[in-house]
Amino acid sequence: MAGSAPVAVAGPRGLDRGFAWLAATDHKKTAAKVGIAATFFFLLSGLLALTMRAELAQPGLQFVSDHTYDELFTMHGSGMIYLFLTPAALGLGLYLVPLQIGASQIAAPRLALYGFWTYLCGGLAMYSGFLTDNGAGDAAWTGTIPLSNSTGTPGVGMDLWVIGVGLATFGTLLIAVTILLTIMRHRAPGMTMLRMPVFTWTMLATTFMVVASFPVLIGAMGLLMAERHLGGVFTGATGSIAYQHLFWFYGHPVVYVMFFPFVGAVGEAVATFSRKRFFGYRALVASLLLFTALSMAVWGHHMFITGAVKNQYYSLTSTLLALPAGIEYLDLIGTLVGGSILFRAPMLFAIGFVLQFLIGGLTGIVVASPPLDYHVNGSYFIVAHFHYTLFAGSLFGLMAGLHLWFPKATGAMLRERLSKASFWVLAAGANLTFFPMFFLGYDGMARRVADYEPRLGDLNLLSSIGAGVIAIGILMVLANIVVSLRTRVPAGNDPWGAGQTLEWWTTSPPPTENFTSLPEITSYAPLLDRRRGEEEARARRGEEVPA
Amino acid sequence: MNDGPRGGGGPLLAWACLQLALGTMLALWGEQVPALLFLGGAIPLLLLSAWNRVFPPSGRPRLLARVSVPVVVLALATAIAALGTTAGLWLFLIGAELGLFALVWLLREILVERRTVR
Repeated sequence: MAGSAPVAVAGPRGLDRGFAWLAATDHKKTAAKVGIAATFFFLLSGLLALTMRAELAQPGLQFVSDHTYDELFTMHGSGMIYLFLTPAALGLGLYLVPLQIGASQIAAPRLALYGFWTYLCGGLAMYSGFLTDNGAGDAAWTGTIPLSNSTGTPGVGMDLWVIGVGLATFGTLLIAVTILLTIMRHRAPGMTMLRMPVFTWTMLATTFMVVASFPVLIGAMGLLMAERHLGGVFTGATGSIAYQHLFWFYGHPVVYVMFFPFVGAVGEAVATFSRKRFFGYRALVASLLLFTALSMAVWGHHMFITGAVKNQYYSLTSTLLALPAGIEYLDLIGTLVGGSILFRAPMLFAIGFVLQFLIGGLTGIVVASPPLDYHVNGSYFIVAHFHYTLFAGSLFGLMAGLHLWFPKATGAMLRERLSKASFWVLAAGANLTFFPMFFLGYDGMARRVADYEPRLGDLNLLSSIGAGVIAIGILMVLANIVVSLRTRVPAGNDPWGAGQTLEWWTTSPPPTENFTSLPEITSYAPLLDRRRGEEEARARRGEEVPA
Repeated sequence: MNDGPRGGGGPLLAWACLQLALGTMLALWGEQVPALLFLGGAIPLLLLSAWNRVFPPSGRPRLLARVSVPVVVLALATAIAALGTTAGLWLFLIGAELGLFALVWLLREILVERRTVR
């Protein structure tokens, strides 16, 4: 039996099927809704990025004004962080955690549904700013004071941005709470903490950070709204610093909220396609906890140039992050070593994640050093650094997860050749777009400015071409999904034939209550244990063991 | 029915100890107010953990509506009330009333569910 057995009660009669789906409480359906909404906001925010790159392809102002450019980068960053990557990371957890720990449902399905709708309303509110007289919010994704106060950015658009961020963050916080409670309360018999799969552990660490840091941002948005309408909340230099403390207390952990779940997805993909047990499981668990604690203690490194924080402390904690990150890399590489590696599409995306995130991580060590940060802060070096972590890193991790679990969620296989082609196009596009930005930043190109010196034109053109290549790659992924769903190649329970964790035990797609039976759970890879056990039994009987 | 292992306090405790160490270090470095923010961040998590300990899973069959319309209405009401902070008191009040209506509807839905199961 699964870890919990709910009695399903039918919903109100006479509801249209589509509407019933929108109000469905099943964690898989809520997660699908989160995924679809996140993809919608990703495409919208991606279009804004393409517009920016088109403007930056040549020096001078081509077709957007300075003010419009401010709106574009604000809404691009806000959309990608508050409305796409964070919800997508939590949506992945909402779908998979109950399946991985053998639970028949999440802990509070109504709360998750409420979270989804609140997040969606927040996203729509944020984007509706474009329909107002003064346009959408234009004080960057950080909403820094005094840019975001009523003098810096007057108008309803900025109000809508503040409300949208608050609602979306509140919604994603609630989704995280349901995941955390599910792990605490609904694990299947035998599923102890140290038998939880790697992905579930990364989700547990993620929810710790969400629950600790997201309420602070919601409070900060409430105070910012009060500042805009009543004044006197964040006044003078002290007010600005106070806001930055509140914002970055959320703003740094959220980077790991957008990273950990994808490390987990990559870990699962690497173990599955290396066809061996995950290397250094306990070390990974320890490193995740250390990473989580440290990630809460580094927010001040975003404020080095203010001179208002103890640089030594934040530099030390930021540099220490290399330690748990190194352990995770060692574990991933250790899993590959000696494995019977299959280069299927999820594995390619996983390796892409590992290699490209390394560039983001190593340049993170550069900006963790105050003297170097003074030089590159506010430049394209920073833009390159965080796009290597969030796009070339996290998005590739998300793609690894999408390609790995798509057959489980839909019952249909993705087209392998198209998947592999989209990987290469996305990898080429990502590096073409973001690698030149390191040089641009080092040469002094300021971020968040629509124009630049003509000497920087060539590298900018290269970067803009890369953005177009990324767009083609994304269209290929979407086309792959559409084609695979229209002409279905059925996926069995374990389409890769090497699944290790409980989600591969049940049908594809899983039934409403997830499981009708569960295997014995004696480790974090119960299906691998079972296969090994069967192989050993066959060997004892002298039968031939299939390759 | 939940037969599985409960809790999850170990990792939380390990994390809390690390937080305490890092927060104390920050305070000793001379940043008392940020240190309070840092340690205060752990409060929601500890409250959630305490709630889980005080109210462990009951062991009874769980109730689960396949569809819950009032939850959707409640979320829309929350968004409308939030938008009222910029559009005006009138919209806030509409959101609040709709929210109240949704809460009553939700309560009724839960009561009906329980009766159905019995």
